[in-house]
Formats: sequence, C-alpha cells, structure tokens
Amino acid sequence: MFGARLSAFRNGMIALIVAATATAVTPTQAAPPDFEREVAPILLNRCLECHSGGEPAGDLDLTTEPSALKGGQSGPVIDRDRPDESLLLQRVVDGEMPPPKHGKSRALPAVERDRLARWLTSGSPWPAGRALDPFEVSTESHGGRDLWSLQPLRRPVVPSLRESANVSNSIDAFIRAPLEVKGWTPAPTADRRTLIRRVQYDLLGFPPSFEEIEAFANDPSTDAYERLVDRLLASPHFGERWARHWLDVARYAETSGYERDQPKPHAWKYRDWVVQAMNQDMPFDQFVMEQLAGDELPEPSESTVTATGFLRLGTWNDEPNDPNEYKYERLEDVVHATSTAFLAMTVKCARCHDHKFDPIRQTDYYRMAAVFWAGPIEPGPRELLGGPTRELLGYDVLGWTDLGPRPSPIHLLKKGEPHRPGPVVEPGQLSMVPALDRPMDPPPPGSKTSKRRLQFARWVVDPANPLTARVWVNRVWQWHFGQGLARSPDNFGFNGERPTHPELLDWLASELIEGGWTTKRLHRLIVLSQTYRQSSIHPRGPEYAREDAGNRAYWRAERRRLDAESLRDALLTASGALDRGAIGGPSFLPEIAPDALEGLSMKDKAWTPSPPEEQSRRALYIHSKRGLLSPFLTTFDVPDTTLPCGQRDVTLVPPQALVLLNDAFVHAQSERLARAILNEEPSPSGQARQAWRRVLGRDPRPDESAAAVAHLAEQASRFADGPGGPRLLALASLCHVLMNCNEFLYVD
Amino acid sequence: MTADDLLNSTRRHFLASQGMSLGSLALAWLLHQDHARGAPPKPSLERPHYDLKPKAPPAPPRASSMIALWMQGGPSHIDLFDPKPELNRRHLQNFEGEIKYDNAGQASAKLFGSPWKFQRHGSCGMELSELLPGLGSVADDVTLIRSMKTGVNNHGQSISALNTGRVTRYRPTLGSWLTYALGSESQNLPAYCVLTDPGGIPVLGVETWSSGWLPSLYQGTVIRPKEPRIANLDPPPRFRGTPQRRQLDFLDQINREHMESHPGETDLSARVSTYELAARMQTSAKEALDIGSESPATLKLYGIDDPVTREYGTRCLIARRLVERGVRFVQVCTGNQDWDHHGAITKRLPAMCRKVDKPGAALVFDLKQRGLLDETVVFWGGEMGRLPVVQNEQSIGRDHNTHGFSVWLAGGGFKGGYVHGATDEFGHKAVHDVVTHTDYLATLLHLFGLDHSTLTFNRPGGAGSLVDGQPARVVRELLS
Repeated sequence: MFGARLSAFRNGMIALIVAATATAVTPTQAAPPDFEREVAPILLNRCLECHSGGEPAGDLDLTTEPSALKGGQSGPVIDRDRPDESLLLQRVVDGEMPPPKHGKSRALPAVERDRLARWLTSGSPWPAGRALDPFEVSTESHGGRDLWSLQPLRRPVVPSLRESANVSNSIDAFIRAPLEVKGWTPAPTADRRTLIRRVQYDLLGFPPSFEEIEAFANDPSTDAYERLVDRLLASPHFGERWARHWLDVARYAETSGYERDQPKPHAWKYRDWVVQAMNQDMPFDQFVMEQLAGDELPEPSESTVTATGFLRLGTWNDEPNDPNEYKYERLEDVVHATSTAFLAMTVKCARCHDHKFDPIRQTDYYRMAAVFWAGPIEPGPRELLGGPTRELLGYDVLGWTDLGPRPSPIHLLKKGEPHRPGPVVEPGQLSMVPALDRPMDPPPPGSKTSKRRLQFARWVVDPANPLTARVWVNRVWQWHFGQGLARSPDNFGFNGERPTHPELLDWLASELIEGGWTTKRLHRLIVLSQTYRQSSIHPRGPEYAREDAGNRAYWRAERRRLDAESLRDALLTASGALDRGAIGGPSFLPEIAPDALEGLSMKDKAWTPSPPEEQSRRALYIHSKRGLLSPFLTTFDVPDTTLPCGQRDVTLVPPQALVLLNDAFVHAQSERLARAILNEEPSPSGQARQAWRRVLGRDPRPDESAAAVAHLAEQASRFADGPGGPRLLALASLCHVLMNCNEFLYVD
Repeated sequence: MTADDLLNSTRRHFLASQGMSLGSLALAWLLHQDHARGAPPKPSLERPHYDLKPKAPPAPPRASSMIALWMQGGPSHIDLFDPKPELNRRHLQNFEGEIKYDNAGQASAKLFGSPWKFQRHGSCGMELSELLPGLGSVADDVTLIRSMKTGVNNHGQSISALNTGRVTRYRPTLGSWLTYALGSESQNLPAYCVLTDPGGIPVLGVETWSSGWLPSLYQGTVIRPKEPRIANLDPPPRFRGTPQRRQLDFLDQINREHMESHPGETDLSARVSTYELAARMQTSAKEALDIGSESPATLKLYGIDDPVTREYGTRCLIARRLVERGVRFVQVCTGNQDWDHHGAITKRLPAMCRKVDKPGAALVFDLKQRGLLDETVVFWGGEMGRLPVVQNEQSIGRDHNTHGFSVWLAGGGFKGGYVHGATDEFGHKAVHDVVTHTDYLATLLHLFGLDHSTLTFNRPGGAGSLVDGQPARVVRELLS
C-alpha cells in the first residue's frame, strides 16, 4: 500500500514537473534543451559512472542514442511516445537514481531533474552519431579530459603588481600577485652567507668553503649573486647533484633485485649519461628521446644507446614462477617508469581495467605496452639479464633495443591476466590527448626496429602534449623549493594535487619550450628570482603560518634538512676528504658495518668494500645494490629503488641521531678534521675557530668559542689514555658535535 | 672486576645520569628565560612546547598502551571471522543484490561459500574459522567486531580512514595522537614504534605511521625487520659514558642557541628530542629488542621455534617487550598487500594465517599471564574485508569489501568473549550495530581517557582532530 501511495506521489510529481515545464515554454512546442550544454553534462556526471563501459550496470548503456533507446534489464528507459512515463525519469524523480553513495543521497537537484524532463518531453533529441564518453569530463569521483593538466598549454600574461620593488623576474610577479591580494609581503632577502650556502647545496650538493662564503659576502659588486649562480651552473659538480634527482625518478640501481640480485653491468654508464646531460644542458626533449628511443634515432651513438638504459633499470627476476606472466610484469615496469617519469600519469593502474580516477582506458595501457613489446620482453638467457645481446645493441652498455621490426600482436588482457587474452591492441599514444591521437606508422622498409618507441617519444615531446613540459618544470621547481607548484610530482591526475600557482606553472612550461627546452635557463630564472632568494625567517612568520603553515603562497623560503647524499658529501667536505676529482666512472662499494651484513645471504656477506682511496668519492658514486642499499643513506630517506620516486620522504627519527652520533664513518670524518686542525693550530681557541669554519663555514661567536675551549679541556682530561692522544680526541669530539648540530643539518 | 663489569657499571652510571642531563636541559631553559626577561618584549606569540613526557588524560583511562597487529591488504572476514551458512548454501549461485565492486568490470556475481569450516571456541562459543586455531584458544579474551565499515573501497583511503579518521591523506595517525596526548611512559624508547615486515612496508608507505600535521616528534620510528633492528646503538668505546654525555650536553647547548634564531620551528626541536632519546636508547633499546632472556616456554608460545611463525612471532614478542617498557603504541605490520587476495585465496589465505595466527594469540595470552592485558589494547585487523562473490574464476579470489568486515580487539577495557554486530546473510554489508572507523577511533580514545571531541591540535586554519567533526560514537557495548 505504501508502495502504491509512493507511486501515486511519484506520478503526481512527474505530472507537476511536466506541467511546470510546459507552462514555462510556449504551449505548442516545448523548446528542447540544448543536448551538449544542458543534457550531456547530466548524463556524463550523474549516470555514466555505472551506465557505460563493457559491463554497464543493469545492462543499461547511456552513452549512445541506440543503446539508450534499447534500455536495459528493466526494459526501455526512454519512452518517446509517453515521455513522462519514461523509466529514466521515474527513477530519477524517485531519487532512486543515481543511487546513494556512502549513505549520502545523490538525488539530482531540481534544476537538473527539470531539464531531463524537458528533454524527454520534447522528444529526447540526441545529435546524430554523438557518443558520450565517460572520460570527457570530470565528475565528483573521477577525472576526465577536462583535467587541468590535460588542457593545452597557453602562455599566461605576467601579472602586474602594485608594488614592484625587489622583483627580479616574472616568477616573482606570479608569486607576488596573490600575496598582494592577501596583503602579505614576502620575507626579506636572505643575507649573503645564507644565500651562498643555500644555492650551492641546491646546485652542487655540497657546501661552500669558509673562504668562498667570505669572498661572496664581501664582494662589493651588485652582480655578485648572478656571477655566483653562473659559476655554479657551469661547475661539473652541478650535473652530479642534479643527476641524483633524476636517478630517483628513473628507479636507478645497479643490481637486479630478487634472490640473486645480480649486478647490471655498465649501469653506471647510464648514471654518467645523466650527469653529462645535466652538465651540457641537454634540451629536455632530447633527454626524453634518447632515453626512450636512443637506439632508434636517425644517428644513434654509444651515448644515445646508453640512455636507453632507462628502460633496463627496473628489477629483473631470473627465476620467475611463470615466465609468460613475468613478461607482463616487465612491461608494467617500463610502462610505469615511462608514464610516471615523463607524464606524471599512473598508467599502470589501467592494466586490468579502465583507470578508476583518470581518463586512461585499459586500451591505453596496452597501446603503451605495445610500444615496448618489440623489445627483450620474452625471457632470454640469464646472462643477458633481460636485455638484448651485445651484437644487437652494438655497444657495451646497459641498453635496450627491439629484437626485430615486427613483433607479434599484443592482446589486451582481461583483468590483466595473461591467460585471458582479449582483442589485439595496436601500439599508440594515450588517448587523453585527442589532438595528438593518431595511429602509429609501421617501420620503414629495412628498419631493424619497430620505431614504435621513437614515435611514442616524439609524442611525449610534442609541444602540444600538455603534460611533458608541465611535469618537468614542476619537478625542477620542487627540487629547488622542496615542494612542486603541483605538490604531487608523479601524479597530475584526478588524485594528484592541483597546482598552487597554475599560471606560473604554465608560464614556466611555455618558457621551457620556447627556450628550446633548455633546463639551465630555467634553473637560472628560478634561483635568480626574489622568491628563491628570500629568507626562511619572516618577521610576521607566526602570523602567516597560522593561515599557511605549508607555505603554499611562498611567503618565505623553506628551511630544509640535508638529503642523504648531501649530508655525506658535507661530512666529507668538512673533514677535507671529499674527492671531487673524477666525474663519473664505476661506482664504489662503501664500507658497511659488520652488523648490517648480518642476516643477509652468504653472498652478501662477501661484501668487499672498495679501497680506502675510493671511499671519499661523492655519495652519487656509491654502488646501489638493491639488496643492500647503504644503511647510512637509507636512514636519511634514500628511497626504495623498485619504483620511480619523484619526492623523497623527510623523516626525523632517533635512528638518524644514532647514525650521526655513533657511525664509524662519521667518527672517521671528525677525527680526520681534528688531525688537520691540530697540525695548523696550537691554541684551543684557534682550533675552535677552525672547527667552526670547516664545519659551519663561519667563525664562532665569543660565547661559542669559550664554551668550545672549555669542552676541549674537559674532554682532554677524559681521554688521557685514549689512542691518538687526548688533544686529538678532544678536538675530534668538538668537531663531532658540530657535525651533529641543527645548523649543519639544515639549509636555511 | 672484569672489563665487562666496568663497562656495565659505566652504562648504569650513564643511564642514571640521564635524569640529570634532562635536569640540566631544564635549567638551561630556565636560565634562558631569565636572560630573556631583560630583553624588550616580543610580540605575544605563544611558542608551544612539545615533548614525550607522560601526561595525564582528562578522564581516568582503562588502557595505557596499544599494539596494532596491522594486516594490510584486507583479510577475508567471511573465511575467518564471520560464518555465513546462507552463503555456503548458495555457493556458486548468482548473487541477486547490488554489489559495489572495486571494479565493476572485473566482477562476477557468483557467490562463493567459504571453503573453511567454522567452530565454536571458548566458554563464549565464539565461531571462528579453522584457519584460526590460535585465536580460538584466547576467544574468551577477545572482542570480535563483525560489523566494521569504512565504506571506501580502496586500500589507501580505507587505511587512512582507520588510521587517521578520514579518507584523505597526510593526516596524523592514531599512534601520533596517542603519543601527542599522553606522551610516553618510557623516556628511553621511541613512544611510537613500528615493526615492519621483511616483505616490505604497507602500501601507503611511511604515511602508515606519519604524524601528519602534528609535530614531527610524534611520528612512528621504524624498527628494522632484520638485525640490527636499530643500527649504531654503540658509540666507539672511548666515547662511552661521560665523554658522550658531555658531547650531548654541548650539542644541546649549540642547538638551543640555533633554535632561538628560528623560533617556533617544531622540526628543529623534534630533531633535538631525537638526540635525547637516541642517547637513552643506546642502553635501553638493545635490551628491549633482545629476546635472548626470554624463557624457552615463551619462545615456543610465540612459535619462535617454528620457521613458519618465527619471524612474525619474534616481532610480536618484541612488541610485548616494548609495551612492558612503557612504549605507548606499537604497530606490527605484515608486508605490502599481503592480505589482498584477489586470486589464489585458497592458497594464500591459509599461508598468511599460519604466519600470524599463533603469534597474535600468544601475545594476548602472554600479556594476560603477565597482568598486562588489562591496560594494553591489542588490535588485529586490516583496512577491509572481502566480497562474498568470486573475483577470478581461474584462480579464485575475492574483491575488496569495506562495507562490512571484521576486526578483533583484546585487553585495555574491551569485553572478553564478545561478538559485536553482524553483516547481512552473505557477509556483504554490515547491517547490525555497525561500527564505523570514526566510532572505532572514538572508542579507542575513550579507553585511553581521551575524548574525541576535545582532543585537538591547533593548526593553521582551525583546530584539527582525529575524528574531525564527523559523527562518532563511543561504542560502550564493546567495553567491559
């Protein structure tokens, strides 16, 4: 009975709606609502999440006119003869559709309900051939092709400021404009001593010497900072520093992982290729092309083939349970690494089904997989570690090339399962960029490779690809500032974060492309901006922080803890041991405490450290063994190497203090520094001064000096019988304290 | 006196002197206040101070510590905790209701009864799967909730919901809230310890024990799954004892001066705290992590004599040793997605149970026999359960289900031998006495003497809290 009453109520409601609609328009002919503008958005937003795709809910597919007219399990849903009895309308008016989610009603607002009613009563006109695509637009629960990151890149106009004092370049205008709206002022410019330490760590990864700091601080010329920046950008150590950032993204390691963890011969050549690319300011489009298709370029060379090592850096299992299944794991690795690194899209989530959040179809995954399908995906001899033969590759490098020009077709896998092949999928690009979506050409006659990667790489770097330049400038910004303009560097999709300054991101991306994709120009722009040069301390900091603790408005510089490699290099710099001589070459095996080797396989126990003279090379050159990453580095948040990592964690936990307090490597540095100082400085206060200069790059204040002298005396009395003599050990203790202090660990 | 005795006596001295060192820190702070008094008044900006000293909760607590046995991936409740005769009867028939799948395209509507038998256990007669004989042996001490619900079908979001109160990311986890509110009874060990699995960390990574926007001091400290569980616990011999204490005092002095020029920066002060703690951990952590002094009977209890349970059992035993020593919150993880049985469930589920069932039950038994269970909450569960239908016909599995799943709790004020709530006849949705993630969190806070509506942290843009203004109820029926 209740049901009948409800039904009567519903019919009344429909009648009311229809009547209301009818009176609102001319009685003779209700003007149909515009399908594109008024109806399609309702269907896309409210219905297609379930009523589309391979297995639409209730077998009702609302994407095309014929499928909508056909109806579903409950029969037709659009009744063109008696439109007000259309099931579609009844379900919607009942509030039954769309169904509630998480207990919350998702019933249509009246205006949309009315619009649907009006559309149905006017004959439900559907433009011929128009197929709705659930990926066209974003809804509450997933992103469509209207995502910010997929919109064509347009160069925004640089905002004008009311107050243009202390503005270096357009970056500042973009940052300053919203600050002006809030009535906020940026922090004052950092002092020169702070600035040189900041910019040198940033660009080279180790601190300036006391002498360099003083020279810069006392340089009377107005372009002192510009000259400093140019000197640092030209330094060969710049590439060492910035290569490390990219190596995280590239999941760089030098062994295969898994049980046997075999070394990947020549992996270091890829690392050196990145260092050189950074140093030579290789245009970013070329940087992409060589890594994805260095072997397919018109004129490949040892260097470009080395770059394809990018595709070989993932883990590799020499004993997979199911070799056929393992092919698809390897494909997933290259698809994931490529789409993450260059496009910040999680394409791999579409291996089993259409992406749940982003406009990535399952076929997109297989299109991309097909691009790599011609490569050494099939299990080969163990010695090749999943790579092509040296003969095929042409060089003694860790590289990638196709095994032939025409691989067998690749099938979409239902639910991603190898034993459930679906239709054949042709190689292609991601359909999320319709303007650039076109079939790939077959390889030209005589080609040894399929040329699929070359075509895919060209798509990646096409200036009309909305992602590539945005993703890269965002990464560069993040490595300078600690956070990207979009704070999810590896995810520009629906679940990623929208940029804090979208126009600045687009402006920088346009600059990159228009400037011929050179990155050093971008670095220069960024580090010369006042935004970069401001102090980490703002006089109104506490007030601003209450509203914007995350510094999303860039009202001050972010103080940052040293990353693992910079910390190790800084310790070696302070002790004077850092060997900056050779850029590149095979990696060295660091000394690892015996207790860290316990519990490892017998093979790992045979870890033989490289000779002492190699131990002082930069941390970049530490052998990256997946089964045994340097405990020093991992304690300070060096990431796992299995997956690409665009942003490291920064943790703050007691094990880090234990490393710096007790690790033999750190003690070796403090003692080495003490020995050097003792040879030059007889007086305790002179020794203290030297210790401050070498570790912190400044002179101690008088109270610090006095405390240090007292510390030396007291410790010397404790170390009466110690090896090396009490004075040395006391001084080592002082140096050790400085190597542990916050001022040393943080960059302002 | 042997050299070792001497060393030990120095260690003891070192331990004892730590209290003095704290006193000296306090004195330094007071002196600084005196000094500052002469300075011109600064704008009145409260500079909150954060520490891990034990704090009394506003209401009398039932629990003082918690061990979360964190089964990331989503154990199948219908195969472990929630018997469904109707489901078994309609095995392989089509399910006619609506199901929210993780992905509709993959789903099958074919019901899949549990291949495992259920039996009653304890005097309470709790029905549990044959895969959980260990849990059966402690059923009378356990509260089993069969009506958990987060309602978000993804791992990450559901983990966030249970751990942080909301499905959104980067929020503080429960362990961070407890240590923020209550500090730690141990000043010698990290207040919030995480024992990770050798098979990798859970799918959300370090976010699983993040302090979110609470001060960094309250983040979880990972204890490595293999030796050395905490590295670098020994200073070089010549620095042991007084010389290192002098170093630490001097370091503290330098850091404090540095912090004066960087007011209000909680990461700087958190880093200083890590040194205070690290120094004390040098003596206490090794002892806490060393199970060598445990009796053979205890080792056997946790299954440390058996290769299958040895690894997980060792971590459960370490968890007990940690709470015994005053650690507030311990998370014992299984590996990344270890319970995410989309396929091969008949092989993979029993394997996981063999690994964790006995040690988890041993933990409850052992805490009880030591009189610690009354004040220690033990939690066992993951972020979801599984669907009653087949996901993968070639290699049977079950898809995600966060609309109804089970977890169990013991100790700390939870009622023993009690089953709460129910799912529908298929185990699909929680239908009776539903416990949401916010209810669950509010109940836990309540047992610790905390109130979910008043425990807040002043953050920019307003106070933040664990439950964050969402509906939440202390589920008193769960409590003894």
